[in-house]
Amino acid sequence: MSVQETSTDAQDDLVVQVRVNGESRRGFAEPRTLLSDFLRHELGLTGTHVGCEHGVCGACTVLIDGEPVRSCLMFAVQAGGKEIETVEGLAKGAEMHPIQQAFQENHALQCAFCTPGFLMTVSALLDTNPDPSEDEIREYLSGNVCRCTGYVGIVAAVQSAAKKLRDQGGTADER
Amino acid sequence: MSVDAKPTATLPQYVGARVLRVEDPEFLMGRAKYLDDITLPDMLHAAFVRSPVPHAEIVNVDIEAAQALDGVVAIYTAADIEANTTGPFVTALPRDEIMPVTRPLLASDRVRFVGEPIAVIVATSRYIAEDAAALVEIDFKDLGVVTNAEHGLTEDAVQLHDDVPGNNIAHIEFDSGDVDRVFDEAPHVFSKRFHIGRVTAAPLEGRGVIANYNPGADHLTIWSSTQMPHFARTLLAGTLGMAEKKMRVIAPAVGGGFGVKSCLFPEEAVIPVASRLLSRPVKWAEDRQEALSSSAHAKEIIMDLDIAVDDEGTFLAFRGNYVGDAGAYAIFPWTSLVDPLLAADVVAGIYDVRHVSYKVDSVLTNKCPAGPYRATGQTGGYLLRDSLIDDIARAMDIDPVELRLKNCIGNEPYVTATGFRYDGGSYAESIRKVCDMIGYDKLREEQAELRKEGRYLGIGVAPYVEPTAWGSKSAQKHGFPAEFYDSASVTVEPDGSVNVTVGTQSHGQGHVTSLAQVAADQLGVRLEDVKVLDSDSDTAVYGAGTFMSRTAVVSGGSIMRAAADVRERILALAGQELEVNPSDLEISNSTITVKGSPGKSMTVAEVSAVAYFGGERRGEVETLTSTRYYDPPETYSNGVIAAVVEVDVETGHVKMRHFAAVEDCGTMLNPMIIEGQVAGALAQGVGIALLENAVYDEQGQFNTASLMDYLYPSSNEVPTMDLAHLVTPSDVSEGGIKGMGEGGLVGSPVAVVNAVADALSPFGVTINSTPLRPADVLAKIEAAQAGNGGR
Amino acid sequence: MKPAPFKYVVPDTVDEVLALQAEHEDEAKVLAGGQSLVALMNFRMAQPSVLIDLNGLTSLSGIENGGPVIEIKALTRQLEVERSATMTALPIVAEALRHVAHVAIRARGTFGGNIAHADPASELPALMLALEAEMVATGPDGERVIPAADFFKGYFTTSLEPTEILTSVRIPTKQPGAWAFMELARRHGDFALAGVATLLDVEDGRCRSARIALFGVADTPVRATEAEAFLVGKDPVGEVLEEAARITAEALNPSSDIHAPGAYRKKLSSVLVKRAVTAALNRGDMG
Repeated sequence: MSVQETSTDAQDDLVVQVRVNGESRRGFAEPRTLLSDFLRHELGLTGTHVGCEHGVCGACTVLIDGEPVRSCLMFAVQAGGKEIETVEGLAKGAEMHPIQQAFQENHALQCAFCTPGFLMTVSALLDTNPDPSEDEIREYLSGNVCRCTGYVGIVAAVQSAAKKLRDQGGTADER
Repeated sequence: MSVDAKPTATLPQYVGARVLRVEDPEFLMGRAKYLDDITLPDMLHAAFVRSPVPHAEIVNVDIEAAQALDGVVAIYTAADIEANTTGPFVTALPRDEIMPVTRPLLASDRVRFVGEPIAVIVATSRYIAEDAAALVEIDFKDLGVVTNAEHGLTEDAVQLHDDVPGNNIAHIEFDSGDVDRVFDEAPHVFSKRFHIGRVTAAPLEGRGVIANYNPGADHLTIWSSTQMPHFARTLLAGTLGMAEKKMRVIAPAVGGGFGVKSCLFPEEAVIPVASRLLSRPVKWAEDRQEALSSSAHAKEIIMDLDIAVDDEGTFLAFRGNYVGDAGAYAIFPWTSLVDPLLAADVVAGIYDVRHVSYKVDSVLTNKCPAGPYRATGQTGGYLLRDSLIDDIARAMDIDPVELRLKNCIGNEPYVTATGFRYDGGSYAESIRKVCDMIGYDKLREEQAELRKEGRYLGIGVAPYVEPTAWGSKSAQKHGFPAEFYDSASVTVEPDGSVNVTVGTQSHGQGHVTSLAQVAADQLGVRLEDVKVLDSDSDTAVYGAGTFMSRTAVVSGGSIMRAAADVRERILALAGQELEVNPSDLEISNSTITVKGSPGKSMTVAEVSAVAYFGGERRGEVETLTSTRYYDPPETYSNGVIAAVVEVDVETGHVKMRHFAAVEDCGTMLNPMIIEGQVAGALAQGVGIALLENAVYDEQGQFNTASLMDYLYPSSNEVPTMDLAHLVTPSDVSEGGIKGMGEGGLVGSPVAVVNAVADALSPFGVTINSTPLRPADVLAKIEAAQAGNGGR
Repeated sequence: MKPAPFKYVVPDTVDEVLALQAEHEDEAKVLAGGQSLVALMNFRMAQPSVLIDLNGLTSLSGIENGGPVIEIKALTRQLEVERSATMTALPIVAEALRHVAHVAIRARGTFGGNIAHADPASELPALMLALEAEMVATGPDGERVIPAADFFKGYFTTSLEPTEILTSVRIPTKQPGAWAFMELARRHGDFALAGVATLLDVEDGRCRSARIALFGVADTPVRATEAEAFLVGKDPVGEVLEEAARITAEALNPSSDIHAPGAYRKKLSSVLVKRAVTAALNRGDMG
């Protein structure tokens, strides 16, 4: 039981070690520290946004071991040892990922607060389904809320990104 | 349409082009900094203690246990804030009908809605601040509640504010003339009551404030998730008793606003006070529960309308009554009239009616204060009038589109019975266009076929005129006597690149792209040579901010004027250098050429080098910078929304099938961005028509403080859309630009509601409230069946 | 919206979990996928002083095809069940799971956690009733098997003892051949206004057995036992089906909330039963 190696005192900070975007990162967290807060305020990865803190809006979606997950519904301590991907890991330097390019080209963002959550969700979708229909896209993205775009640009961007990725023969992960 | 004002013809390349947004890569890479992304050294975190009860006297506030908690740095209650500010927010307009309403920054003796702030905890983390907030004990003495605006007006209603007797912030009447006589003589009078549900703009990022007081410099920096950083500074300077020069207000990346962030909230004053008292940075980032219960609600109005009609279906007169639900205070600084007054005064819409009267009340209730939310007021006004027009069409057996076209004004500038001057539009043409886009006649055939199978398709078509470019003149015309100041600066830097600053604020609208397009064209430089900066009171010139579809016009116009000045100076200098008359020069692609002598040219960078470092070669030209002001005349966009739905008559479920929209906002800066604005507004319309409702129970408790209860539309509820444009440049504004961005929400809720009523026309259903939950639709069908014995 | 502090423990074995539960009693909560619990904690509607994280119990994850039953370990993620090749034998399960919230929730949410949470508006508890599954509880005295019909006791309440945890779910593979799963929610992925899972054994136009389980209409998921009995021996179409739907609704007394009055849910149940039975007949055999 790892109760000994963690603390039994609720307010004490624990050391959490994760891999984020391929890099090993360490930080402190109370047991109650949400993964979203840990990524944002302890590791400084503020690209992951927090919109509701009860799992409805999808803004805080990150990939954990390849699957999309709400980072507001996990405690940081639970992510120990996991592989986390956030929006900061999508681009290679100044070169945007094809999904990001498609979002710009299709005006799929306005205030962009929801955008990182969408990008990570789309990345997971195109990994499992490289050629989704419009219905499949709308269904898969229905757990991410956008208040600005009416989803028109987003759906078009996903179709365009899917084509870009198919054309270059890679997956969303390994283009 | 007037011919002398079509500057679009002379505006070259960028304006009107689908230029991709230059700000996108930063957002897409997760590098943009929103309020809660900012961390300052030594920063503290705040949480508010909020009222759990709707209306009560505060008997005692016990902070002892909270204060003792490890990590709590300070707790402030009303007395602390009062001692360190010049006074509460007093919302008033210089109109005799309007009562000033006072809102304390923290409640002292009395709370008036669930969620009202009572104390602020400042701690070393937000987690601890919330722990402490839970330990504050407050004794309340119940005062009874008002939860319905009409009840609030009754004689025995509980009173909310001692200085607003009768709970009514304003009673306003308008009468254009002979309205009652026309009604008396009219062959037909149709009437309807509509209650638009209470909603909230609910941008995905909530409000938030960071204040950092530097005692050494006696300087306060405030980051606020606001749509109006400069104006917030002016208002806060008064409340905090500080000179504006000692304050800098920055709006960082703002995650949506839709009007809610164009108000000033108590938290925006309290957090700076806390920072000033502690001489440390303090952050408060609103959480979703606070956003839903305590920011601003919107749109709830109980409305009645009578329309007098002749035998041919010509509208003769409109007579309306609008009782707005203001909530517990008048939103600062605009007042709660933004809903009922604008609902009433846009009653003419596209319809050629000379006899109009209305009455407006704005009633205090024990709910979160109501404020502006995209298409403020108009959403409700249009739901009422255009759903009644569809009822009339059915009653008179006239096609609803035909009935609208029959009563539609012409395309030329027009002055309404309410005194607004429309600056030309495509009022009828846009209706015809949207009908083409959806295949209106074919859809009617499909509707008839489907009905035979027991399927109920419905079509709603809602044309609108949107008042835009809210400056002094628009505001005054619409009953809000206020003066606005908006400006832009244009500076050519030594290397020929261009810095533009504006006093408006982009929170998703892509201003730094579309305004750069305006500047680039006006100067003749490449788009990539221009940078637009806004949202910072220290680095951008003054302006009132972004709301009411104003930025394209006020900032676009200011930039056009400033850039024209600078262009003139560039040409003067180039003329000296090239030894030709400046009038023989033109600038394009950042290069100045002599007309007819292609070999003779200079780049803007070369001219700029002369301006900065050329010594006497400068001649008369002192600077390559200009700051200009623009306060536009009234301008009005127009457009039309068509909604197609299918209603499941066994469950009452409404399936959105399709939207089509035509937008005419005059000279288009960037059609891609315009379409984005329309699409987003249509989605919000689905929310208002079918899903979203800020619900209070009869005891005044708030029942929708989570997104499980307050339902944003998702990609599954929002349908496909077909968006198109018509272009009728304004005959009065700079560049023929009209504002846009709200029209989609003026027209889409009623388009959806009318589509539902159209689908259910075999049952004889009338709709008079939103949102339409499946249960409501089914109840309507059953009531209609009970009334007329079925189909 | 930050959770109150708690002591966090990650046991490695079920025995350790049980010991911790015994020690802390109702001060403790177990954390599985956390997709409901963490949200409640963020609202501070749940404030356990000890949080026992089950995610260290790797033995509690996985799907085993044991011939007459498929055993789904409690901690198996909902998305894993939905995608599992083993589960193609029971296609109604994946169909029901697609109605559970959204992909990101199902990627973390566990099969057993959803059932043990016993939200009466949730899909899986009703599905367990319809499939006549068995819940395997592990407590200080070892394993105990509880039929789904005896498991759900009220709002968020099960027959699990405070000293027990749900460790797996056993679903019989032999099921009636025709099935359908349907619900209506105001917004896709939300808890349904009402929903139904039905399984029918129909031969030569006669219903040999019928199972109809509903959710969102009472304080637990419920079987429409009277309607089921009515359908046996009859051809479940036309007026027979109308009557079965009417009987279903008559037995219900759903409560009201901001999304719908109880009376609406009652009517909706009858519509959904008609449609689900029809869809099941049209679909035919499982698979």
